[in-house]
Amino acid sequence: MTWKIQLNFIICILLIVSCNSEAPKLTFAVGGAPNEVEYWEKLVGEFTESSKIEVVFLRQPTDTDQRRQGLIIPLKAKKTDPDVFLMDVIWVAQFAASDWLLSLTPLVERGKLDTGNFFESIITQVDQHNGELIALPVYNDCGLLYYRNDLLEKYHFRVPTTWQELIESAVIIQEKERSMNPQFYGFVWQGAQYEGLVCNYLEFLASHNGRIVNKSGDLATTSVENIQAVDMMKDMIHKYKISPPNTYTEMKEEEVRLFFETGNALYERNWPYAWSLHTRDESPVNSRVGITVLPRTNKGDHAATLGGWHVGISRFSDKKEEALALVAFILSYDIQKRLALDLGWNPGRRDLYEDKDINKEMPQIQVLKRAFEHAVARPNLPYYTQVSEIIQKHINAILATRSKTEQALTRAQEEINRIVQQYHE
Amino acid sequence: MSRGLKEAFVFIAPLVLFVSFFILFPVFGTVWNSLWQDIPFITRQFILFNNYIRLLNDQQFWQATLFTILFALLSVCLEMIFGTITALVLNEKFHLRGVMRGIALIPWAIPSVVGARAWQLIYRYDYGLANWILQTMGIPSVNWLGSSLGAFTALILADVWRTTPFVAIIILAGLQTVPKDILDQAQVDGANMFRRFFKITVPMIKPIIIVALLFRTIDALRVFDLVYVITGGGPGGATISLSLYGYKFFLLGDFGYGSAVSITLFVIAFIFAMIYIKIGKFRSR
Repeated sequence: MTWKIQLNFIICILLIVSCNSEAPKLTFAVGGAPNEVEYWEKLVGEFTESSKIEVVFLRQPTDTDQRRQGLIIPLKAKKTDPDVFLMDVIWVAQFAASDWLLSLTPLVERGKLDTGNFFESIITQVDQHNGELIALPVYNDCGLLYYRNDLLEKYHFRVPTTWQELIESAVIIQEKERSMNPQFYGFVWQGAQYEGLVCNYLEFLASHNGRIVNKSGDLATTSVENIQAVDMMKDMIHKYKISPPNTYTEMKEEEVRLFFETGNALYERNWPYAWSLHTRDESPVNSRVGITVLPRTNKGDHAATLGGWHVGISRFSDKKEEALALVAFILSYDIQKRLALDLGWNPGRRDLYEDKDINKEMPQIQVLKRAFEHAVARPNLPYYTQVSEIIQKHINAILATRSKTEQALTRAQEEINRIVQQYHE
Repeated sequence: MSRGLKEAFVFIAPLVLFVSFFILFPVFGTVWNSLWQDIPFITRQFILFNNYIRLLNDQQFWQATLFTILFALLSVCLEMIFGTITALVLNEKFHLRGVMRGIALIPWAIPSVVGARAWQLIYRYDYGLANWILQTMGIPSVNWLGSSLGAFTALILADVWRTTPFVAIIILAGLQTVPKDILDQAQVDGANMFRRFFKITVPMIKPIIIVALLFRTIDALRVFDLVYVITGGGPGGATISLSLYGYKFFLLGDFGYGSAVSITLFVIAFIFAMIYIKIGKFRSR
């Protein structure tokens, strides 16, 4: 008797587990801050209304790494859902190399989208794979320099355009401000051991005319430019002392933003999101903050590490046509404009940077446009995460003075080479 | 098969199914995964022990292993000492003992990520509690997490704070099984406090101590949340634990290598468990 009941029970469970043969549906996966996810859900509702295509909205978490895992697992299993998803700019190479992304070229061929409306530097650095268009930017992000215009004015300095000018003015102003505010520092940036450190490093490096991977595709971790750039980062903390000692232990985006916002810093390196927070009414520095592109050196140009989110379609999608329609909708002028005005997302499309309403609402957008034209993408490698881990670890160790610059960079190069051998087919 | 035997199987079946679904299947699945080169952008390949050979040449892996073992040994040692002391105090009769027992449990009751975040704020350079105390005494601020030793100590301290109550509760349960009359008898015979503790209490609660050790060591070897929140593995990779290291490979999509790291951690935990069981002589009982 008991035997039979249990057997039935087990069979029931197995049936429930195996019962997931459903009709194909268009699924769209989005994560992020709760208000953003809600906004997307509303947009998707409008899409369904106008196109009569039903969309299943898949809510993803806020955490970027979790969003990534939430996509890798179904894609690796060749699942038909999700069909459309947003990718962080650094995942695109991995997704493309894994052959998970459907070509978006049909959208261009049918005249639904014009790649000329996007930033060329971003499309060529990120969104193309083997000559196919596999993703497009929905939201662009990049590093910027925030400064206190009241302090620059008070001490008669102009907005720095070179790192040398930044260091000189920071040393002097810091010394004078310290008498009133002992917590004051010249320049705050992200130096903790995490992805943000690589972004900062790449900007220092590119403005010294260096690269992590040079134009011929070889590693250039130990180049002269690399050593100069890293030494400058280290000197800011240990020699000029314009950056606080906890730069390499605690400074991530929010720590840096709060430090600057409480009035304790002259310059700040951060992403565009900090602008609206610095300038809101409750911010102690609201009317005293300026924004510009990051400084350069006499050897290299201004540089800004590219961030942001790109939209792509799964190659395993069971609703390919509908998915293309959704992508065209997301990247349409109107929706991009609404995302900019309502969520403060810097548009993926370049033509919106000339839009009157956006310029009125977001006066900083012209600086952003300039920065995006100088955007530098992180190495476009499918195993970028691993390369990034190695760079983070060694640059952080240099900043903590646990290792010497040249030795650490040499070791980083060796370790990256091993990764390349391991993951290169 | 006799009826009795048949029924025995029926009654055991749920347990067997549970164990195989939730323990055996994942463990053997991970072992199986670790024998593959399983990376989305490369053709899947059976490579036998190559992932493990790669581990042997991986400096960061050795550093993570060393960190994890040192962290587990030191934090468990301290937790056992403080936990036992706390348990001994809580075992005495005093006013408001029930309330004190409740309060002592608070660190354990707080979710570990929340606790870790609190410690991160204590260690903060600019407005952390630790530096605020130093400043009020006129000592300049210290960048606690800036050196490998500092970061290591900071993590140990946070872990000891969090899990001492857990050890205390287990030991307290053990202490309550020690008959009062034996201790009284020893006191009459002139044995002092330490002698009574080491000659009577410890041998009697030894199995409990071993259980606490076992739980704590396995837990400490798997340390993830504390490191992830407080140091993120820094400075310069000095505090990357094995689980954090494995996690990073799962993020990349290198499931084979990530599994190999996990299996190594599993083996280390298993060895510790075997040692404890041997010391505890559970078999002879």
